[in-house]
Amino acid sequence: MEITLTHYLVLAGLVFLTGMVGFVVRRNALVMLMCIELMLCAVNIVFAAFSRLHGDAGGHVFVLMNFAVAASEAAIGLAILVEIYRRRRTVNVDDLKTLME
Amino acid sequence: MEGLLFWFCGSLLLLGGVMMVVQRSAVVSALWLVFAFLSAAGIFAVLGGTFLAVMQVLVYAGAIMVLFLFVIMMLQGPVMDGERRLMHPALWPLIAAPPAAVLIMLAGFLRGDRMVGFAGAPAPGFGSVVQVATLLLGRYLLAFELISIILLVALIGALAVGRGERKLPWK
Repeated sequence: MEITLTHYLVLAGLVFLTGMVGFVVRRNALVMLMCIELMLCAVNIVFAAFSRLHGDAGGHVFVLMNFAVAASEAAIGLAILVEIYRRRRTVNVDDLKTLME
Repeated sequence: MEGLLFWFCGSLLLLGGVMMVVQRSAVVSALWLVFAFLSAAGIFAVLGGTFLAVMQVLVYAGAIMVLFLFVIMMLQGPVMDGERRLMHPALWPLIAAPPAAVLIMLAGFLRGDRMVGFAGAPAPGFGSVVQVATLLLGRYLLAFELISIILLVALIGALAVGRGERKLPWK
């Protein structure tokens, strides 16, 4: 069977789904951040697949942009988590309800 | 050949993702995510993005995941031990709904004959360093410059957050 664009889109959809479910189910803020990275990775696959479809490497450029965005997000997210851990001694989101109360 | 590589890398990518979500220890999760990113690099390579595959390994599996592992191992104790519990079981049906909808949609896609195929093999040089760099510094120069501002802001933001209780210079 020939591999088509649909195959790549379905794969990306499943990977995104995995990340989404993980983000909702897991309570460790670090793992939740990693799930976001997985979702971004799924988006990158879609970019690359459409780039291949149109024979235009513009999608590859935007995957590189996405790398930068993911790196910034990881840097700031981890800095915030380290600061939260210093004050509260936990990164479990169930214990971090200050904004909810 | 492309089919074989697609199924191989794709299944490994999904395996890595699922194992990351399932594992209770944050370190093991991070290692499975590295595995998933390496498989994603394989997918990029199958798609003709050789430069992307290299960057995926260098930036994602290398830099970003090393940062994650570094922080996980720095915050020892409760973070390393894994989670006491997952989401409240009563809420499980709630989050099962969107995945189920997406899966049904995907099944419909795969069943139908409306697959969009690629028009032959990619042109020679597609996704090469030269081509991507030409676009990056030509058509997308503005976006390329703007992304450097995002990185700068992230750098300053991370520094400001990481300073903790000490007074910030502008206060």
